[in-house]
Amino acid sequence: MRLKRFSVIAMALLAACKPPTPAKQMDSIQSWLATAELDGDAWLRHAAPDNYSRQTLELSRETLLQVSHDLLSSHPPGVDSAMLDSVLIRSRRHIGQMSRFIEAKNPPAFARQLDSLRADQKIVKRIANSIESGR
Amino acid sequence: MHVVRDVLDKKLLDHEDESMGRIDGLVMQIGKSSQPRITHIAVGGATLWARVHPTLGRIARRMAGKWGPKRREKVRIPWSRVRTVGRDVTLDVEAKHAGAIDWEIWIARHIVERIPGGGHEEPDDGD
Amino acid sequence: MKKILQISLGIVTAVGGFLEIGSVVTAVQAGASFNYQLLWAVLLGTICLIFLVEMSGRLAAVSKHTIVEATRERFGFPFFFIVMIGMTLVAFLVLVAELGGIGLSLQILTGIGFPWWAIPVSFLVWLLMWKGTFGLIENGASLLGLVTLSFVVAAVRLHPDWGSAAHGLLPTFPGARKASYWFVAVSILGASISPSLMYFYSSGAIEDEWDESYIPINRLTATLGMSLGGFLSMAVLVVAALVFHPRGIDVQKFEQASLLMTTALPKWGFTLFALSMLFACFGAALEISLAIAYFFAQGFGWNWSEDLAPSRDARFCLTYTIIILLGAVPLLFGVDPVKVTVMSMALTSATLPLAIVPFIFLMNDPIYLGKHRNGWLSNSVVLIIILLSFILAVISIPLELIGG
Repeated sequence: MRLKRFSVIAMALLAACKPPTPAKQMDSIQSWLATAELDGDAWLRHAAPDNYSRQTLELSRETLLQVSHDLLSSHPPGVDSAMLDSVLIRSRRHIGQMSRFIEAKNPPAFARQLDSLRADQKIVKRIANSIESGR
Repeated sequence: MHVVRDVLDKKLLDHEDESMGRIDGLVMQIGKSSQPRITHIAVGGATLWARVHPTLGRIARRMAGKWGPKRREKVRIPWSRVRTVGRDVTLDVEAKHAGAIDWEIWIARHIVERIPGGGHEEPDDGD
Repeated sequence: MKKILQISLGIVTAVGGFLEIGSVVTAVQAGASFNYQLLWAVLLGTICLIFLVEMSGRLAAVSKHTIVEATRERFGFPFFFIVMIGMTLVAFLVLVAELGGIGLSLQILTGIGFPWWAIPVSFLVWLLMWKGTFGLIENGASLLGLVTLSFVVAAVRLHPDWGSAAHGLLPTFPGARKASYWFVAVSILGASISPSLMYFYSSGAIEDEWDESYIPINRLTATLGMSLGGFLSMAVLVVAALVFHPRGIDVQKFEQASLLMTTALPKWGFTLFALSMLFACFGAALEISLAIAYFFAQGFGWNWSEDLAPSRDARFCLTYTIIILLGAVPLLFGVDPVKVTVMSMALTSATLPLAIVPFIFLMNDPIYLGKHRNGWLSNSVVLIIILLSFILAVISIPLELIGG
């Protein structure tokens, strides 16, 4: 009985380790953009320490790089890949800059990058909605 | 058998209420005309693991001969040494001499007491 | 007067010791992904736990046996061995998760990665068990764990719509992402209904030499203590729902979870989260290590007592030493404790019948409990919830592994 259950699970695992759908990947991208935004907001309000904020921004940037690469290389249908790619490159740059401005202890410059990141988020959200409605 | 069920796997205490492990097995005599009766209490890994599977019992016996206190004979306590059977089974023996806690003493001396803060087991104290 | 003090201490330690990485991570993920919808899972898990903890105490007080001792004596070694394997394997995974939780808390506080903390943390946990007494460990860790009350403060400060939240206490079916919903529900149940806690609790009752006169105290502390603890888990879920859900943040990493209280408590929220996790996971690591070592010691009939010097219960001490050392190994290799947490919680749900069904037999056995046997209500509530957890677990774990 136990063995049967185990084999069912094992077979399911083998047969179906399918990659995430484009919609799921867009969710993940938005999740990590939002993480960077929340983290940035917290740092500006002195609610998060320098070290942690920088490391979390770095983690967000790296994860975004990973997921964007996976998403774009699969050429999702119904998506303006060029536009998505360019906004994601921009957002990663903004996050990288935010990290540097934490180190340089420059809140005003940091705040400007954060605003740019928020603008990127809006664009990504529009693209995500179009994938949703196009399904 | 009721007695077996009432006794097997119960905790063993020596004549000073010191813990001696558990009853891992029972040795019984089955006569042609008389009721089967318990002759010995068996304590030890070989007996215990053999109840799960005979191969495990053989492995346990081999390991018992090679590691730790390196005991080769099985621990057998005559049923006549049983004083009371209640929640636990009390015996009319001294824990340290019955062989049932050889592993405990060996690990205490060779491993635990070598680590700072491990304390000391007094071998000849009625501790 | 003494009894009132004992009751209060019992409740306080139950509350302070309630949260650990499993309950926090599952509650955060639930709130972030599903808003208030999964509050019912926390409620159901807590109710089941109240019954189980009360029973554990009652068994120890009346029969003067711990659950493990009674299981071996009633069912014999071969069956006991099966239960032991299942329980200790899952408990070991939970230990890895808790040690990892301590490491992650130190990581966000210091910037030094959690694998570097694996050895120092394990050593500290071991040292406390080697040198400490049961009272020190149980009470000390739980009192420090009271810092987790900050989750309630954060929840209140965010002014949730308590009406909407209350709706979440009734089970609802998910809209989208069904597999994920049920998987998180199963993880919450596994995080709440912790067999290790039961084993620890019954051992504690024996260490504290309870007898039948403790039954009313036991009932009170189990009910109040676990309820308040469950309330804490709900607070975590509510905060996550208010902070992460609107932003669309799907919490997968500890770094994301650390932002939990930064909006509600700007000055202290970050530090309070880190300290809460630090102390909560520390207490849980001690508790789980003890629970596993108790399983071996009580099952095999060795001496076991946190109040004895190690050479007086050598095999017991060697057991927890080895367990704690092994627990550090996956962390040294950088295995993500959050992933281990989620999986171990789901596996707990899947293996609950193995622990609970024999336990229910014991609770109805006149030899052990005499006139204090279970009533039909206790039996029914527990068995229904366990069956539910098991079915959900068996269905949702494979689905999550495929889809997630």
